[in-house]
Amino acid sequence: MIKIESLSHHFEMGKKGKKTTLPVLKNVSFAVNAGEIVSLVGKSGSGKSTLLNLIGGFIHPNSGIITINGQAVTQFSEADWADFRLNHIGFIFQNFQLIPSMTAFQNVELPLILKGIHDSDRKMKTEETLKRVGLADYHDHYPSELSGGQQQRVGIARALVLDPPLILADEPTGSLDSETEASLLDFILQLNKENGITFLIITHDHEVAQIGNRTIEIHDGELVKGAYAHELQG
Amino acid sequence: MSFKDKISFVRQNMRKNKMRLFMTILATAMGCTFLIVLASVAFGLHDTLLQDYMEHDRINEIEVYGTSDPGRDTMHLTNEDINYFESLDHVKTVRRSTTLQQYPLMSIDNYQLATEAKSVYYPAEQEAGFTLTEGRFPEQDNEVIVGYHFASLLAPTNNDNEELYDDYGLLKEAYQYDGPIVGDTFSLEIEKIDQDGAVEIGKFDVIVSGIVEQPKREWFTESTVYISEQLLTDIEAFTETTAGSPYIEYQEGPVSDERTYSDIVIHSTTIQYLQDLTEKLAEENYYVYSVASQVQQMNLLFNIAKAGLIFIGTIAILIASIGIYNTMTMAVTERAGDIGIMKAIGANPKTIKQIFLIESSYIGLLGAFFGTVVAYLLSHVVNWVIPVILESAFDDTIPEGFKFSSIPFVLVLITILICLAVTLISGSQPAKRATQVDVLKAMRREI
Repeated sequence: MIKIESLSHHFEMGKKGKKTTLPVLKNVSFAVNAGEIVSLVGKSGSGKSTLLNLIGGFIHPNSGIITINGQAVTQFSEADWADFRLNHIGFIFQNFQLIPSMTAFQNVELPLILKGIHDSDRKMKTEETLKRVGLADYHDHYPSELSGGQQQRVGIARALVLDPPLILADEPTGSLDSETEASLLDFILQLNKENGITFLIITHDHEVAQIGNRTIEIHDGELVKGAYAHELQG
Repeated sequence: MSFKDKISFVRQNMRKNKMRLFMTILATAMGCTFLIVLASVAFGLHDTLLQDYMEHDRINEIEVYGTSDPGRDTMHLTNEDINYFESLDHVKTVRRSTTLQQYPLMSIDNYQLATEAKSVYYPAEQEAGFTLTEGRFPEQDNEVIVGYHFASLLAPTNNDNEELYDDYGLLKEAYQYDGPIVGDTFSLEIEKIDQDGAVEIGKFDVIVSGIVEQPKREWFTESTVYISEQLLTDIEAFTETTAGSPYIEYQEGPVSDERTYSDIVIHSTTIQYLQDLTEKLAEENYYVYSVASQVQQMNLLFNIAKAGLIFIGTIAILIASIGIYNTMTMAVTERAGDIGIMKAIGANPKTIKQIFLIESSYIGLLGAFFGTVVAYLLSHVVNWVIPVILESAFDDTIPEGFKFSSIPFVLVLITILICLAVTLISGSQPAKRATQVDVLKAMRREI
């Protein structure tokens, strides 16, 4: 599903003429097989967020190759990335990233609108997805009228609504209490089991990381655990 | 993302800051109103002057006064010329008339009127749009039609002139002929003055079959008697002069058997062929005149004036576009978070750009719509108020139908297109900025 080969990235810091280079990822290689739940753990500043940003196409790597679902995405333009994200990747964000002026229904419906799905089909699909995440009665609620757990469920519904084969989750339980966290993790497991959705979850919480089939640990931009050589063949 | 969804998205976004939106639309509407009202003055005056030409049915006419062909009587055109004119392409009809060379006295009972008379060819007159207000066109040689004011000018013969006319010199209503006119038999009296000055009166009984429509120029008094060509021939036979002149002493030789015409007017099918026809006839030694060249010059002048005024008006819309630019820039800044989220979940940069361009166009179109409505209202007010002001300030009467301001559809269309172009240009930079919103910065944190 995801294949990363010799991926390196650095950030340039400072003003012009006095720029310094800060290496963030150093020759990283690993793979995530279809249907897996892989947890990516590491301390703050270890490079795990940068790695997810690179896989999501929000930043472009300095070197290396990223292949998702059989497509080499490294040289994608911004427009290519937009289409690719819409069709292949769902995102779950730590602070939900819902559009505050839209209701729960409208937030979930947004990817369907962007894809140009017909009005009646998308209403049906949105309702079905909201029902699936247990928010059938919260259609017309704005994000500010929902609890953190409910907002995250809206976020998950938005990620799921186009049935992507891959979901990238960034600290999905970071803003939730322990009870809601447990419920959400169960839901992720259920989605993986029933729909075969591949998850790459970034977390610093080892308990959350345990739901994964495999845990990859990153330290100072290098993978220190979980990225076995045979995985590159996957 | 479908166009309908983009519109719906834009409308949803526009509701977020209603006051700012209102002020931007107001500024755009004011710009559009200014452009339309300014240019409408040129359109109004142009229309009025053009209408003036059109009302006199002269716009597609070529007047033929005679010919400079060697060996021909300069001022007398014949049926041969008429046939030639009718054979030309794009000629609708050829009106011809001969004015009687004296004012015959038309009398009935105790009423009479000495007025102009002319023989006309009715089929051509009808083809050219000559219409009656009452009765029908003559079918017999002794039938005539009379001008609109003929009846009101018929004066009683047994009264003192002082009593008959009011202060304006018009026949008092009480003394006017109250008969039906149409169907009445008049005596048409023709004078014949021989070389010794002896006057002989010839009387011809004529029946009025119709009354001509009221002249479009209200001040114009029309009391002409239109007679048949046969009646003219009979009159000529009596006076023994061409066109019924009373003075036989000026007649050179006997009256010709061949009918000649003093006035010939060619009507072209459309105005676009008028210039070509005029030039062709002039090349063939005919003395011709048409208003086409004057109208063309007038059109050129007014078109330049319209373009100039539209250009000045466009400056007002350009000023309003600064407001649109500002509104759109603020919208992009305020919605950077939403844009970031949309891009993160797969919104194409092109879609984002289109959404903002649609939004600026929407503001422009709303401004143009309201601006046009206000401009129409102002135009009506201007057309109503200015004559009143001029009349009270200068004690001068403005002709009825005179328009200071006119808003044709083409002016509205031009305004909408200018407004749309200006708003698209002013919205393009903010729209481009929207596509460049950094997803990670917009979401305020890296994922």
